[in-house]
Amino acid sequence: MPLLRADQLSKRFGELDAVDRVSFEVREGEIYGLLGPNGAGKTTSISMLCGLLRPDGGKVLIDGRDFWSDPQAARRIMGVVPQEVALYEELSGRENLEFWGRMAGLDAAAARQRAGELLAALSLADRARDPVKKYSGGMKRRINLGCALLHRPRLLLLDEPTVGIDPQARANILEFIRGLVREGTAILYTTHYLEEAETLCQRIGIIDHGRLHAEGTLDELQRRLGDTRLFVMEGKLDGAAPDVWPGFREQFRVIQQSERQLVVAATADRDPADCLKQLLALPVQLENVTLKRPSLNDVFLQLTGRELRE
Amino acid sequence: MLRTLLAKDLRRAWRNPVPWLISLGVPFLITALIGMAFGPASDGGLGRIKLGLVDEDDSALTRMLRGGLNQEEAGKYLEPHFLTRAEALAQIDANKLAAVVIIPKGFTRDYLTARAPVKLELVKNPAESIHPAMVEEMTATLVTGLNAVARNLQADFPEWRNVFLDDNDTSLRAIGRLFESAGDRLDAARGYLPPLVTYEKTTLAQQKTDAMGGGAVRGIFAYLQLGMAAMFLLFMADHAVRDFYRELNTRTLARYRTLREGLLVFVTGKVVYAVAMVLLGAVVLLGGAALVFRFTWQNPAALLTLVLAYALFGAGLMGFVAALAGQERHADRVNNLLTMILAMAGGCMFPLEQLPAFVRDHLAAWMPTAWFVSASRGLQFGGGPAWPGAALKLAVLGGLLIVGTAALFRRRLAKGVR
Repeated sequence: MPLLRADQLSKRFGELDAVDRVSFEVREGEIYGLLGPNGAGKTTSISMLCGLLRPDGGKVLIDGRDFWSDPQAARRIMGVVPQEVALYEELSGRENLEFWGRMAGLDAAAARQRAGELLAALSLADRARDPVKKYSGGMKRRINLGCALLHRPRLLLLDEPTVGIDPQARANILEFIRGLVREGTAILYTTHYLEEAETLCQRIGIIDHGRLHAEGTLDELQRRLGDTRLFVMEGKLDGAAPDVWPGFREQFRVIQQSERQLVVAATADRDPADCLKQLLALPVQLENVTLKRPSLNDVFLQLTGRELRE
Repeated sequence: MLRTLLAKDLRRAWRNPVPWLISLGVPFLITALIGMAFGPASDGGLGRIKLGLVDEDDSALTRMLRGGLNQEEAGKYLEPHFLTRAEALAQIDANKLAAVVIIPKGFTRDYLTARAPVKLELVKNPAESIHPAMVEEMTATLVTGLNAVARNLQADFPEWRNVFLDDNDTSLRAIGRLFESAGDRLDAARGYLPPLVTYEKTTLAQQKTDAMGGGAVRGIFAYLQLGMAAMFLLFMADHAVRDFYRELNTRTLARYRTLREGLLVFVTGKVVYAVAMVLLGAVVLLGGAALVFRFTWQNPAALLTLVLAYALFGAGLMGFVAALAGQERHADRVNNLLTMILAMAGGCMFPLEQLPAFVRDHLAAWMPTAWFVSASRGLQFGGGPAWPGAALKLAVLGGLLIVGTAALFRRRLAKGVR
């Protein structure tokens, strides 16, 4: 049974469909990545999943039970790491951890002990007494993560937890998250970083304009583009019209087209050399043709018509 | 839970004390500046008024008036200089005198023959404000007194004229007889002389304050500090309650809501925090003022109860307006403006008696600041409304506003306001 299940979740803000019938589930010991650009509906989805917003439609099931049938029980199971650093800057790292531990229902002694464990696990024990305002961005992010773990949640919702920090700090946080998964924690991880989704998440949902366009493992998503090869043609392509090239549409699917670049995928499992010969014979002036495995960005591009980095 | 929330907020305030120190420091500064403006503070008070007296009449009566200025009681407050008109005006120009009172030639004759109303000339030093105004008040009081005497002792005036005008019987024995007779009549008419009775009452109340450790000139600091405290405690309540918005902006409130159901505890925590900060502020402002300006609060327990009720009101009002405003920026503007209006119309900055008639007669009665200021000043100086009634009104209003604040915030957050 999944620990978290979003079932046809919807939320409107005025005329805007911020989230439109989104469904997915997260199982124990799994990292599910929700990948999409800013404004795609990731944070609104998380807000509904953790009870900050009530959905206009659909349901949230936590451990098989409707969130709103017993919100406090649902909250005991989950920890939430907001996108912003939600800490008291005047307080020390230890004081923040202990305070949020108390808010999560721990008594003073338990909160103190758990704060000590987390400070050690997050490699912050030596800075535990310093006020958070004196921490680096990476250290703040680590404490921000730790504040959601005081009550040992079985389900962790992480809303872009590595935004705005350097690669080294990001690597540390990702490694810490992998450790949590090894201990059996189920994680919903939203991000707009492709490499994070590719390297961290077992399953990925691609969300844009409030809609979940596709989900699956990285392999499953890549296979949506037809086998495992993409051909990238570069040259003078401003007048190119693939629709009128004889037999082209039967052999290839256009993934992306611009004045300088045409990206296509073979529609069937064919010899790449044959494909290359066919492409070089097209009535356009090509300067370069390369062959590559499709990336998550290519999948996103094919699904939404735009690049994730736009 | 409430204790944990309160401890967290107090710790944050302790680590970032600047906004609180400003709210605590400014009232002291204003009180000190206004207090000192009343005169040099060698004895901590107003200082003696440098008064020029020009006696152009030079009669036995005016000589007695001049002599009275050097008597013990008058000598405490006045430093009289007996000069000619030219000398006096020159000293005013040189900023050496606060004011000059001129007794014009024929004053005694006019007075005792009732040919004309009592007339004294007053020249005020335009470079000073407080001392000349006080001389003007004293002169007006003297004129009122002389007129009252004239009205009531008309029958004795022929004998007075004999003594003071005709120069045929100016012996001390004759003057003594006149004063004895006049004293008897004034004693009998005491209850029918409103201006004189009024002044006498004020003097007795002041003597009581002196006896209890305040001192006449110290009273002004207590009076001012109560008004300043009423205003700045509202600013402190505002700053504490608006922490709700800071928690909203830094997303710590969102984090709280991912852990706890409902907002009542959180809002109550902020109100308790605001009340605690106002109480601490009151202890510093009022207790500190008593130490710094060397006066004694007459009824500290009642004053503390009044402050507690006022803190509830302040937290409730500022929270309610902040919840209505919807954003910290708006709440900041509205609350500052509201505090200033409440302070002005409630008599925090100026005595209620000096406010415009409409404000004094129609608005002040509805101003919670006026309830607090009048009751607390009443505790210190006598008069004013009864403090238990004022405290009850403040506490009830504060409680209602707090309930309204929680309801408004809950409704806003349910709508998804970030």
